Amino acid sequence: MFGYWDALYFIYAFIIGLLISYLLMKWAEKASVGTRKEGDGSKIYISGEDQDKVIPQFEHLQGYFTGRHVMWGFIRGINKMFLTFRREHTGLLTDYVSYLLITVAIVLGAMVIWG
Amino acid sequence: MNVLPWLIITPLFGAFSMPVISLLGGKFREHWVVIVSGLTLGIAAKVFYTIWKSNEILVYTLGDTNPIGNGVKFPIRIIWEVDLFGALLALTITFVSFLAILYSLEYMKHDTGLDKYYTLTLVLELGMLGIVITGDIFNFYVFLEIMSIASYALVAFRNDTWEGIEAGVKYMFVGSLASSFILLGIALLYGQYGTLTMAYLAMKIAENPTLISKVALAFLVGGLLFKSGAVPVHMWLSDAHPAAPSSISAMLSGLVIKAGGVYAIARIIFGIFNPGLHSYLKAFDMPALNLNTLGWIIIFFACLTLVIGNAMAVVQNDMKRLFAFSSVGQIGYILLGFGIGIVAYGDKIGEIALTGAVYHIVNHAVIKGLLFFIAGAVIHQVGTKNLNELSGLARRMPFTTLSFIIGAAAIIGLPPLNGFASKWLIYESSAMYNPILAVIAVIGTVFSLAAYTRVLFTFLGVESEKVKMVKEPGNAMIVPMLVLVIIILVMGILSWQISDKIMLPTAKMLEQLNGEYIMALLKFMGGG
Repeated sequence: MFGYWDALYFIYAFIIGLLISYLLMKWAEKASVGTRKEGDGSKIYISGEDQDKVIPQFEHLQGYFTGRHVMWGFIRGINKMFLTFRREHTGLLTDYVSYLLITVAIVLGAMVIWG
Repeated sequence: MNVLPWLIITPLFGAFSMPVISLLGGKFREHWVVIVSGLTLGIAAKVFYTIWKSNEILVYTLGDTNPIGNGVKFPIRIIWEVDLFGALLALTITFVSFLAILYSLEYMKHDTGLDKYYTLTLVLELGMLGIVITGDIFNFYVFLEIMSIASYALVAFRNDTWEGIEAGVKYMFVGSLASSFILLGIALLYGQYGTLTMAYLAMKIAENPTLISKVALAFLVGGLLFKSGAVPVHMWLSDAHPAAPSSISAMLSGLVIKAGGVYAIARIIFGIFNPGLHSYLKAFDMPALNLNTLGWIIIFFACLTLVIGNAMAVVQNDMKRLFAFSSVGQIGYILLGFGIGIVAYGDKIGEIALTGAVYHIVNHAVIKGLLFFIAGAVIHQVGTKNLNELSGLARRMPFTTLSFIIGAAAIIGLPPLNGFASKWLIYESSAMYNPILAVIAVIGTVFSLAAYTRVLFTFLGVESEKVKMVKEPGNAMIVPMLVLVIIILVMGILSWQISDKIMLPTAKMLEQLNGEYIMALLKFMGGG
């Protein structure tokens, strides 16, 4: 048998992840409270999104830190990349053909030169 | 008795008898198609077991007992040459097809023209089976076209929507162009070496590796990258797979891009242009092809595919389109495994990568089959596949949601599910070969996680108006999903046993360090 993994490592990684998240939350809390203990100043803007903002159809999650915070940073951070990818998906048959020709040309060129 | 020909005869007979059987009524037709596909699954299981037990390649000559022609010393007849890789694929194809047909009984209940639908489904199945068992490159092309034409028709099966027709027509146009490249590659090889038998072709190319053989290889790989749905030639896939009926989407995403795409690439590279054979020739300063270049080309496209495919899945609102882009992403992992298998040929790393790729082909077929069945259940019951309208489905369709959670976790690669085992092997081999490749692979998985979390978030949200009255689909749709969920769980729990007992021997037989694929033919020529 090759390939090695141990379920315990995943549990360790999970616990460490939880610990880091907790420390981050505490740090954010401390950093955002400032001089006041109540009001907007005490909110943690992990993602730049207000955790008390009511999201339509997700009212039951109000006040919780959800996966959206992580997703927000992730997707927002590379938004330009998504836009570029989407722009290339035109749905035009001519583009599909062009990409096929380009792909075959790349493979052909590389094989003829270095193959 | 050699059961191998029945693997093709059974679905072929089933398909062509369908119009006559349909005259006896819808119920009879349904029983017939289930029996035919069940029988085909049984035959594939028998073929797989025979090869797995004996660890020997099965060679069958069409119309004769010997592929060698009378009065000549080389093979002239069409042969089918099945190793463990082909047999494993045949088993996977028949299994998922059987479940897809079972699922169709209820899913397609309200459609008309079902005799055509089942005929095309069986033709699609036999096309894929032909690809994975053949040892003749032109025969391979014929089966590839049988499979492709059935796919074009099935994508556009529901001709009451423009989505299906547009996707089908686009798929057909570009697919035919890709097929032309493949045919051109085959024609060049035949013109240069005068044979179509893959194993014999491997010997002839090794004897005299010319520029023509490089060009032919490039055309073959270029065309087959398209059929695999690799980026940037994946756009047909994200149109076609969501447009087809969900039972067919499961077959297209789970099987067609494997049999007609990544399997074919691996078979041509390891069977005809074997990297080991050419590095051996190079070691003796003899003319040889540099297959490392091809390995890196495949790795390049694999990295593009797994990042862009999974990233595009994140920004989809159409659930089936999201799954289709996810399929593109997963093809990236399989290609990465094969690419590393080529550049690290003969090495432990190459072996791990190939095992991971073979394993992931099977895992992805099962997982994506389940996910498209789930999408079908949602469309069937709710009438939409728009994620913005599916909030709160979990309460009304708990089994479907639970199945989705298991399927999504498996495709992301969470332990202890089957997707984890195969992805782990691919990560491990890429990290050992070049850590940058492992990082790229993990980035792909992060996108995959983001995409599926979004669907999960939708399913677990507050009930929207649209889902208030829905309920679980009938048993004919539930049972195939349940079977796949069980398979995913069992394959996850027994992942390393499966890896050791099945996937590793399969990868070794594909890699053929001792030229087993050629040797199986040489036995008929007085060698071996």
